[in-house]
Amino acid sequence: MSDLRVYLRNHWRYFDAALALVVIIGTLAYIYDLLVGSRGLDVAYIARNYTLYIHAVFTNVYATTIAYLVGMAIGFSVGWLRTARTVSLARFAASMRTEKRERREDPSQREGARRLLVVVSLLWYGTKYVVRRIGDGFVEIIRGTPLYVQILFASSFFIVFLPQYATEGLLIGIIALAINTGGYQAEIFRAGLQTVHSGQIEAARAIGFSRLSAMRYVVLPQALRLIIPPLTNEYIGLFKASTFLFVLGVPTEISYLAQHEGFAGDVFEIFAIVTAIFLAITVTLSFVVQALERRFRIPGLGIEQVKVARGVRLARVGG
Amino acid sequence: MIRVTDIQKHFGALHVLRGITFEVKKGEAIVIIGPSGSGKSTLLRCINLLVEPDSGQVFIDGVQVNRHGIRHEWVREQVGMVFQSFNLFTHLTAIDNVTLGLIRVKGMSRDKAVEKARVLLARVGLAAKANAYPAELSGGQQQRVAIARALAMDPKAMLFDEPTSALDPEYIREVLDVMTALAREGMTMIVVTHEMGFASNAASRILFMDAGKIVEEGTAEEIFQHPKEERTRAFVSKILR
Repeated sequence: MSDLRVYLRNHWRYFDAALALVVIIGTLAYIYDLLVGSRGLDVAYIARNYTLYIHAVFTNVYATTIAYLVGMAIGFSVGWLRTARTVSLARFAASMRTEKRERREDPSQREGARRLLVVVSLLWYGTKYVVRRIGDGFVEIIRGTPLYVQILFASSFFIVFLPQYATEGLLIGIIALAINTGGYQAEIFRAGLQTVHSGQIEAARAIGFSRLSAMRYVVLPQALRLIIPPLTNEYIGLFKASTFLFVLGVPTEISYLAQHEGFAGDVFEIFAIVTAIFLAITVTLSFVVQALERRFRIPGLGIEQVKVARGVRLARVGG
Repeated sequence: MIRVTDIQKHFGALHVLRGITFEVKKGEAIVIIGPSGSGKSTLLRCINLLVEPDSGQVFIDGVQVNRHGIRHEWVREQVGMVFQSFNLFTHLTAIDNVTLGLIRVKGMSRDKAVEKARVLLARVGLAAKANAYPAELSGGQQQRVAIARALAMDPKAMLFDEPTSALDPEYIREVLDVMTALAREGMTMIVVTHEMGFASNAASRILFMDAGKIVEEGTAEEIFQHPKEERTRAFVSKILR
């Protein structure tokens, strides 16, 4: 009895892996049987056509990645903007009070310079306020409307105002995706920036960092670590969403699904190809990101995401 | 060294500082005591301009610093600050916490900064912990790293905002020892604390603050043994037990 237990404990990970495999294969087999069981999967069709889809994947990854990076710039800017305490009429008033006080204490300073200071501050605070409100509106509009509509809107915009580019489906698509993901990433960045403890900024400021370098060297490195998982989510989401670009004439995986072959008899073969491609890419990405997370983890902070296998090994040591 | 005249500060409707005036000479260690909400922390933050006073003047080395045309960053380089909750940069090791300001603010080369940081960490007794992250250190160790980080900028004076209030009792001593040594070496210090032992040993003067004003000022003996004001007496009798 105890021999069996020791054996199980020492070889548990093989059972564990086998179990996982059985579940995955079983599920796939069940789905396969349900959908194509009666007629069989046309492997020859897949062999003939999969290159078409591989080509589409390249377009897709390309569009997604560019849009994602541009969106990141938009997202960081808007997200940071939305954390700023700009709505500070109080702060403006305080600045004006300081100015008034100094004028009282030192009347020798030129009146013209003083006036200029007031005008410049007013412009500065006014601009910040307006820009911030635009940021708020941007996020609400992007989040509040469907991506599909946004893509069609971008297309219509080009047709009406920039007709010479109206046939550049990929370009329009990338712009639409970038703006869309920018809105979502703004919220991710805002959450990340606001989660970093205010004491961190205070400490950085206390040793002479400017606002900008405190952001660069203290807040951002911490915020980025926090938002790796939601940023990954956003990339995967965007990657899948980019297949929508077929409405602009960009050949994506589901173009073929929707146009060419749809319901012509080979539909499940197409599903098989598309599913395999998407899973291959997203699962690979998950692994890469998990490695990144481990690489950048701050020792001693938070709960480490332990690999399943490591837990098993620990149990073995215990036994 | 540090002179503050008639500082007023409001937070909205709250009148936090109601005309504070005092002076700290070079090499003096001043301890500020007072009930919570009396404005002690705000006063410290007004000195390095983390909080901007509504009115009144702050002088450091004879220069008025709270006016247009003086960079706040420059002021903060002159005056080091240690916080109640340490505020070490969580993503950096102890030594990187100390070198970050040297490299990025003072523009020192990495090698020189590391060399200097090692000396400072040794001075606070943490040479062995240079590569530990804040979350791997005890509270007392974190606070000593924070002191080293502030000292690295070669400040003319140091501000301590309740540096031991967040510590477990067994770690308070090691932090106070570092601070006492610093005071003995002639560092100009303003310390908000309720550690009576430190106040008696190291403080040149003690200020008692209440409701945004300095109520009484004197040596440790004067304040603790023979307080003149009724409010001081009431407060001291509460904390001395």
